[in-house]
Amino acid sequence: MNNNIIQGKAGTGLLLLSGLVLLVSLVFALINLGTEGHAAFNTSSVLPWGQPIATYLYFALASSGLGLLASLPLVFGFKQYYPVAKRCIFLSFIILISGMMVLALELGNVFRMLWVIPLNLQIQSAMFWMGIFYTLDLLFLLWKFQKLDKGEWDSKASKQVGIASFIGVLLASGTVALIFGMMSMRPFWFDGLLPVYFYFTGIASGMAALVFFVYLAYGFQRDRMHPALQSLMAGALPKLFAALIGGTLIFIVARMITGLYSNNPEINLVWTDYLFASPTYHLSFWGGLVLPLLLMLSPQLRLRVSVQLAASVLVFLGLFAERYYFVVGGQVIPLFKGTWYPDLIAYTPSLTEWALTIMGCALVFVLYILGEKYLNLSAMPNYLENEHPERAAAAGAS
Amino acid sequence: MPKWGMVIDLDKCTGCQACTTACSMENNTAPGESWQDVLYYHEGEYPSGQMKWLPRPCMQCENPSCVHVCPTRATYKDEAAGGIVFVDWNKCIGCKYCMIACPYGVRFYADEKPLIEPDVREVYPGTNKQLWSPPYQSPDEDWSRGIGIQPPGVVSKCTFCYHKVKNAPEGTIDLDEDNPDVKEYVPACVRTCAPKARYFGDLDDPNSQVNQLIGDKHGVRLKDHTGNRPQVYYLGAGTGIPSFTPPDEGEES
Repeated sequence: MNNNIIQGKAGTGLLLLSGLVLLVSLVFALINLGTEGHAAFNTSSVLPWGQPIATYLYFALASSGLGLLASLPLVFGFKQYYPVAKRCIFLSFIILISGMMVLALELGNVFRMLWVIPLNLQIQSAMFWMGIFYTLDLLFLLWKFQKLDKGEWDSKASKQVGIASFIGVLLASGTVALIFGMMSMRPFWFDGLLPVYFYFTGIASGMAALVFFVYLAYGFQRDRMHPALQSLMAGALPKLFAALIGGTLIFIVARMITGLYSNNPEINLVWTDYLFASPTYHLSFWGGLVLPLLLMLSPQLRLRVSVQLAASVLVFLGLFAERYYFVVGGQVIPLFKGTWYPDLIAYTPSLTEWALTIMGCALVFVLYILGEKYLNLSAMPNYLENEHPERAAAAGAS
Repeated sequence: MPKWGMVIDLDKCTGCQACTTACSMENNTAPGESWQDVLYYHEGEYPSGQMKWLPRPCMQCENPSCVHVCPTRATYKDEAAGGIVFVDWNKCIGCKYCMIACPYGVRFYADEKPLIEPDVREVYPGTNKQLWSPPYQSPDEDWSRGIGIQPPGVVSKCTFCYHKVKNAPEGTIDLDEDNPDVKEYVPACVRTCAPKARYFGDLDDPNSQVNQLIGDKHGVRLKDHTGNRPQVYYLGAGTGIPSFTPPDEGEES
C-alpha cells in the first residue's frame, strides 16, 4: 500500500486545484501586463523594486536554503537527513524555477537577457554573477537529482556533484545578497555580512518549506512515513528548525538595534516610521518568527506534527514578509527628491503584483505534486530503506 | 575630445522650472519622467527657516555606480562622447538595478502608473515600438544612446542633449547660448535658463568658462561622499541637501 497521499486521488485533486490557481493568476497577470504594461504594477521610478522582486528573492533564497539542507547528508555526512535529501534537491529546483518565472514577468525585456548578458559580459555587476551562479545552481541541482534518481547516493561522482552544487548554492545566494549589500547609497541594505544573513534566513525558509511538503506528502500523518523519515522528523530536524528560527531572529534583532541606534535617517526612519509603524510588520515578526520559536523551543511541543506544521506555515509567511519589508524598506526614504516627496514613499502591491506572487506559489505546488507522483521523492539509500523492514511494514499497514 | 560638464549657479537660479520644461519639450519625456527637475527643500524653522532649491540634471558621474551595476552594459559611460552616461535601449532588460544604484535619483522607468490624468500614453498610443507617440517629436533619435522616445520596459535618463552637443565644432570649449556660433548646440536646459544660472563646457580645458567658475566661485559636487564624482558642479550659497525629515517630525521639533 502507498502511504504517499499525493500519489493518489488527493494528489490529483490538489494538482487540479493548484493548476487552476496557476492558470487563473498567470492569465490575469498576462492580460494586465499586456494591456497596461508595467503600469499594472504599483512600483514607480522612485520605488522601482516591489513585491515581485521580493517574491523572487524569497523563492531564490528558499531554494538556496533547501540546497544547503540537502548538503547536510550529501556533503557533510549527516546521514540521518538522507530520507529528505532527494525531496530537498527537487524542491530547491522547482522553487528556483518558480522564482525565476516571477522575475521574468517583472523585467521590462526578459528575452533580451538571453543574448545581451552573454554578449556583453559585464563582470562588474553583481546581477551578472547572480545570473551565472543561479544558472549553474540549476544545472547542478538537476545533475544531482539525476544521480539520486539513479540510486547513486554515495558514489564518488555523486559526492563531487554534491560538493559542486553546495558551492554553487553558496555563490548564488551570496551574490544575491551582494546585489543589496553593496549599495552604499541605500544604507538600509548596505552590509558586508548580508550574505551570511541571507544564508541563514534562506535555510530557515527552506526548512519551513521542507517540513510542510514532507507532511503534505503523507497526509499530515507521521506514522505513515518510513521509520527512518519518522525518526528524523521527530528527532534531529525539529531541533535544527528551532535553532534556525532562533538564528534568524538574532540576525533580524541585530539589524533592528543597529538601525534604531543609527542617527542616519535613511536607516533609522525605515525602522521607526516604516517597519515599526506597520501592524503587518509587527504581526510578521511576533507571529511569524517569535511565536514559532517559542513553540519549537519546547521539547514536548516540537515533536507534535501540528506544532511543526504551524511553525512551518508561520515561518513561511513571516519570512516572506521579512523579504518584502527588506526590499521595500531599502527604498521608502525618497532619494534626492525634495518636497516632491515630502513623506516616506507609499507602496502597496497591486493586484497584478499579487497575481505574480500567487502564480509563483501555485507553480511550486503544481511542480511539487508532479514530482511526488512521478519521481519517487521519498527515495533513500537501500540500507536505510531496509533497516526497519518490520516497522516499515507496520507503518504501511496503519 | 572634451569632457562635458555643467555648472549651476544657485545664487542666480530662481527655481522657475523653465529648464525642466525645455528638457521635456526637447526630449519628449512623459509627465513625471523629469530628466531635468528643480528640487525644493526647506530647512530649519522660524525665524531662521529657509527654502532652497536646486536644479538637478543627470550628474554624468566620472565614476558612475549605475554603470557598474548594469548586468548588460546597456548603461555606459561614453568617454568618446564627452563622458556622458547613456542607456542603450537595445540592450536594457528593464531590471531597474541602475535606478537603485544611482544616488541622485535621475533615472526613470516611464512604463509605470501615470503621474497625471489623462495619461499621455493613452492619448497618443505608441507606434513604431515607442512607448507613446506624440504628434510633435524631436527628429533626433538614437536608441543606442537613449535619445528619442523610448520603447516600453527600458530605463531613460538625461543625455546632456547629446543630439545637440555632438554637433558643436571641434575645439569648442564653451557652449554658451550667448555665442551665436554655438547656441544651436547648447543643451536645452542651459539655453533656456533666463537668469543664466547654467554654464556648459569642457572640464578638461583649463581655460573653459566652467573650470574658471568652479575655481573662482568654489564649485562643489553634490553628495560627494558617494564617490561618484559628478560632472555637474554647483556654485553659491544654499548648495547642499538637507537630510530627509518626514513632515510631522519637522513640525514637532
